[in-house]
Amino acid sequence: MASLSERRYFSVFKDESKLDINYVPSSLPHREQQLNFLNHFFRFAVEGPGKMAQRVLITGKIGTGKTVLSQRFGINIMREAQEKGINLHYVHINCRECKGSPFQILQRTILEFYPHFPRRGYSAEDLLKMLMEILDEQNAYLILAMDELDALIRSAGSDPIYSLTRVQEGRLGAPQRLSLLCILRQPEHLDLLDPSTRSTLQRNLIQLEEYSASQLRDILSDRIALAFRSGTVSEETLGFVADSAASDGGDARYAIELLWRAGKYADASESSTVLPEHVRKAAVSIYPVVRKDMISSLGLHEKLFLLGVARHLKQTGNAYLSMGDAEEAYGVICEEHDEKRRGHTQLWKYVKELTALGIVETEISSVGKRGKTTLISLPKVPAIDLERELSAMLHAKKR
Amino acid sequence: MSIEDILSSRGRVRILKILTDIGELNISEIARRAGLNYTTTNQHLQALENAGLIRHKKFGRIRIFRFDEESPRARMIMKLIESWDANK
Repeated sequence: MASLSERRYFSVFKDESKLDINYVPSSLPHREQQLNFLNHFFRFAVEGPGKMAQRVLITGKIGTGKTVLSQRFGINIMREAQEKGINLHYVHINCRECKGSPFQILQRTILEFYPHFPRRGYSAEDLLKMLMEILDEQNAYLILAMDELDALIRSAGSDPIYSLTRVQEGRLGAPQRLSLLCILRQPEHLDLLDPSTRSTLQRNLIQLEEYSASQLRDILSDRIALAFRSGTVSEETLGFVADSAASDGGDARYAIELLWRAGKYADASESSTVLPEHVRKAAVSIYPVVRKDMISSLGLHEKLFLLGVARHLKQTGNAYLSMGDAEEAYGVICEEHDEKRRGHTQLWKYVKELTALGIVETEISSVGKRGKTTLISLPKVPAIDLERELSAMLHAKKR
Repeated sequence: MSIEDILSSRGRVRILKILTDIGELNISEIARRAGLNYTTTNQHLQALENAGLIRHKKFGRIRIFRFDEESPRARMIMKLIESWDANK
């Protein structure tokens, strides 16, 4: 009995919250340099606060670590300031959550200082003035991080950012208390700003590149150590998740979500480890990339080939199969369906086509194997589902 | 103002309770929570401020009230309210 209940309640997770989108890890692999840049730009805030105000811009595509980078920086600099007895606040506001409204952005900022501040009755200009008075009154310094700034620029244009950057100018001689950290997904949105605001922001630019597969691997293995029980995620699964996410635009957020969902599928199927098949299931639940109409538009032999790939992956439970294995599996399927098999060159073309459609992914085998072969994987659809779909389709055709 | 004057008004006691509870609050919110109108609340706040129990800060058009923690009387009243409510 005990073993039954143990099995039922076994989870591959140790602490799921470490995979949450809001979790800020203590170290950021492959963003150390950018974190240093930020520290450098805001050095004055812990050395001579009030002497200057800074504006920094972070840009990068989705899942390149913009938010987590600025939040980690915020936590670090607040701790440092506290040790030095400086009243420095880092406030992180998501402009999209504020629907791009300057009023809501400022109001949320003020609520950080006065949780019971009236929620309405004042204009954005009033609030900005009040914010400065509050900072003066508390002798506080503020780094205001505006995430998803795209939303603010799109809905309110350049005026709010202009007034935020210029609020100090009306306070000659007073200490400079408000610094800005702008986070932007598409740098093109900067063109909507007036030239002077744009140039101030562009002077301190941190651009984040997409993560490569090996970088994603480092990030994921950090998170796996935190979130999963040891030994539940194999190197193969890890590499598979990293590769899938890298080909999807180097999106770390997607990679982490994929990992989390794969863990959920592993738990649901009472598996003690996270298998590549769980990752495939997870991928299809995030993006229904392989649509039925896409599969039905394939030629007969492309379908047979794909069926061979799916069946082989299902049977072996591996993440990848070699071109040779795929051809062999395809041969068996051809026999089953009474079809004359196509040659290697034709199959090679099929692989290229299927890759272009995004149904399969290929990779050249590397170290550790003799010779070179193409490795095929199904990153976004569970082999079982694909096999079922294709079998049904081929069966219907035969009748 | 004598202690009888301060504690003889339901409204004033309510306001003191709210400030003990929340800490800092603006007039409209105090009025809403106490179930009083703005003018009455304002008058009570004036009285309490004159008695040296509370003080206010001003940000633009907004006034935020709180106990004057430097006043021993204010601290004692806060303590009284806290222990009264704790022993309910």
